[in-house]
Amino acid sequence: MTTFKFKRATAALLLSTIALPALAEDVTITVWAGGSNDADAYRIDAIEIAADMLEREAAIEGRELNITVEGKRDFGGWEEFKQGVTLAAEAGTAPNIVVTSHLDIAPWSQAGYIVPAEDYLDFDAWPLNDIYPNLLEIAAYNGIQWGLPQDAESRPFFFWKDTMRGIGYSDEDIAALPDKIASGEYTLQNVLEDAKKAVDAGLVEEGYGFYPRPSNGPDYAQFYQSFGGQLQDPETGKLVLDKAAMEAFYQFFADAVDAGITRKNHLGTDWGQWYSEVANGKAATWHGGTWHYARYTGKEGNEDFFGTIEFSLIPAGNENGRANTITHPLVYLVTDQENDDHEDIAAQLVKIASEPRLNSLHAIKSAHLGIGQQQSNIELYANDRWASEATERLLVSANAQPNNLDYGAFSEAMFKGLEAAWTGVKTPADAVAELESELNAKLGDNLIVR
Amino acid sequence: MPRFNALGFGFLAPAMIVVTLFFLAPVILTVFFAFTNMSTSTGITGGEYLLTQSDLREVKASGVSEETYDKLENAGYVVDETGLALLAEARDQATADELADLHAGAQFSSRRDMERALKDLRANRIRSTRDRKALAELFTSSVMDERFQTEEEFRAALTAASIPEADQNILVKVAYTGWVWTTENMKLLFSLDSSWRYAMNTLFYVVFTLTFNVGFGLFLAISTFYLPSGIANTFRTIWFLPRILPPVLYVLMWYWLTWDTGIISSFMSWFGVAPRNWMLDTATNAWIVVILINGFVGASLGMILFSSAIRTIPASMLYASEVDGANRWQQIRYIILPQLRWPILFTSSYQTLSLLTSFEYILLATDGGPGGATEVWALAAYHTALNNYGGNLQYGLGAAYALVLVVIGIVTSALYLRFFNFKDLVAKPRIEQ
Repeated sequence: MTTFKFKRATAALLLSTIALPALAEDVTITVWAGGSNDADAYRIDAIEIAADMLEREAAIEGRELNITVEGKRDFGGWEEFKQGVTLAAEAGTAPNIVVTSHLDIAPWSQAGYIVPAEDYLDFDAWPLNDIYPNLLEIAAYNGIQWGLPQDAESRPFFFWKDTMRGIGYSDEDIAALPDKIASGEYTLQNVLEDAKKAVDAGLVEEGYGFYPRPSNGPDYAQFYQSFGGQLQDPETGKLVLDKAAMEAFYQFFADAVDAGITRKNHLGTDWGQWYSEVANGKAATWHGGTWHYARYTGKEGNEDFFGTIEFSLIPAGNENGRANTITHPLVYLVTDQENDDHEDIAAQLVKIASEPRLNSLHAIKSAHLGIGQQQSNIELYANDRWASEATERLLVSANAQPNNLDYGAFSEAMFKGLEAAWTGVKTPADAVAELESELNAKLGDNLIVR
Repeated sequence: MPRFNALGFGFLAPAMIVVTLFFLAPVILTVFFAFTNMSTSTGITGGEYLLTQSDLREVKASGVSEETYDKLENAGYVVDETGLALLAEARDQATADELADLHAGAQFSSRRDMERALKDLRANRIRSTRDRKALAELFTSSVMDERFQTEEEFRAALTAASIPEADQNILVKVAYTGWVWTTENMKLLFSLDSSWRYAMNTLFYVVFTLTFNVGFGLFLAISTFYLPSGIANTFRTIWFLPRILPPVLYVLMWYWLTWDTGIISSFMSWFGVAPRNWMLDTATNAWIVVILINGFVGASLGMILFSSAIRTIPASMLYASEVDGANRWQQIRYIILPQLRWPILFTSSYQTLSLLTSFEYILLATDGGPGGATEVWALAAYHTALNNYGGNLQYGLGAAYALVLVVIGIVTSALYLRFFNFKDLVAKPRIEQ
């Protein structure tokens, strides 16, 4: 059933069915989690724990409810996962719960693949009233609360401390960097200078002064914001192309290549190689995500993270911009099913999985950030230096990419332009000109050009 | 005498099924998709009727009356007589009376506020969240944010909200969530600068890869023809490897060869050349690698076809030419090449068509990089229709890209058949006439 507000006629009917004595019920709830590896196992495991809880609650109320949770997270990548979910939804066999990017809410809600969490859950009640309002906002679209944030993260800028010492920074200078960046005193221009010094001094190899993420992702929108770019106009909800900011952002990467601090063919570097290099000091500066902590200190064997790496917001680019970071939370979404009761059970499960104690299991195991305020009262979370410092230093200043049907086209085109400027195929100005004509043609009325 | 032969037809049936399933059906679907605005958000199977906040912007620009717009924008929840009567019916009179005492006449802009009002009930508490949500809906007459399965249902709701017929027609159009027929994809395709670049990239890719394929295939076939058969077979087997290796593995070996930590870089470092990525360093590098990767795969097919064709040339002709004093080059030029016309036709047309639509090796190797330099048409179609970080896949636009390839493919085949005089080549042997 796809009507997501109960109609008058069905309301009475519904109430009468709920009053009937319930019989033993066997329900299978499938959970598909995109972009998840072993460290993210609690995206599914938390639903299993929640199912156990819900069964016990039902038993106490005298109902026999048996929930089998079937989880799947071994997808080839985001594309395969998204195609899998949409095709399954078209065929009427969608998994009950999906864990995915908040950007999918706009297209999937429009297509009717998902149902609003607010149809089943009371957001004034525990534990949903404890979730950070800005994270809830990210899981809402068109004024409707479609899902629940599953985790939070943010995307910091990193410095390798030894290299910074090598170009003349004292330990105090390094410790003061995050604040100087937040206040706009230390900018991306300083990054260019310091990275150049590190390369010239031979502390890092050429091309390793500034070592960005090797593929497209939300991270690059941060640099657009660093130069004063705005992604969405808050008044009208339209997407914004700020040409000056976009060109300055492209120019920064072109300058980094010209200065020899970033490799011209950096994009497409193998992720495995990339992780191992940044975690072991081969790069002077780079940017990544809060969840990288688990990888650096785990698989890559950096045993002294805080002694070797300093982290901060992404610095401002010029006086128009600001230091910033983007959070790109994954969300729990409940899909449209034939049987409304199954939608209800799925919604109850994601609600229970959002309890601070359960969410902390995921947050700490996968080095993500928490979703609720009370998590700072859970020892597991509070005792974790990374989670608490990153929450404090980054999450408070974080914004998200807009939930907008055209954002996918916008971000793909923005990255294509960046790639062209970065690799020297086009000048930044030409790349912006082509971006403008392409976005105008594709987005039309949904775009504001400044 | 020609007559209907059931057995022959039976033998043909599997081929007909395969052609229908793997050629005809995809082509028909491509044509069909290309003229729709289909995307993730419209779904594939059809649509419903839904007005959301972002639709309101479009509604405002579309010329509905002020009155209708206000009605949509300001519609909320009212605790009125109708709603209370429905509540009494769904629950009981006492609940309705208590709510009337607390909130009679109240207006709420959001469902959450209406639910909060229901939570205020003390004597007749509504404990279940789900019940409360269902009951809150008794107090709205809004058509916003509600999904209607059919146009009739939607129009009925609009009529109930007393929205005039003229405005209804506009709203029905805006609210439809499914795909609609459109020619916008084609217009967009021909207006984008990037389309022309992809077209030029594709032309460049097909011409150079084809030349390499056929030329290198011919070279291998002819040179191995003049070798002793044991050595010739060894060489042919080696050159056949690229085709039988799984593409992912084959491209991985190119990575090992070309990356800045790879074989070429390590070798060149002995001569003081700084390591660099020989695959992605410049557009020229990328093109050379892309053409070689595809070229070696294609050349092996040409080699096999040409080799077997050369063997069918009567050896007596070659002996006779040697007696007449022809050298190797003259043998090739005047005996072998003229008799390879049919295999060359076949290989060229087959390879042109397969190169036009092939993108898997490029996807694996450069993914269109650096900076879109090796993005060919088929790869752009794939990226548009099936690859989007933001989640809204453009099936319709992607199909429009693919449709262009279908048209070019059919036209090219027709041209090839004419150019190589296909009818003559498949004419019945004179002896049977």
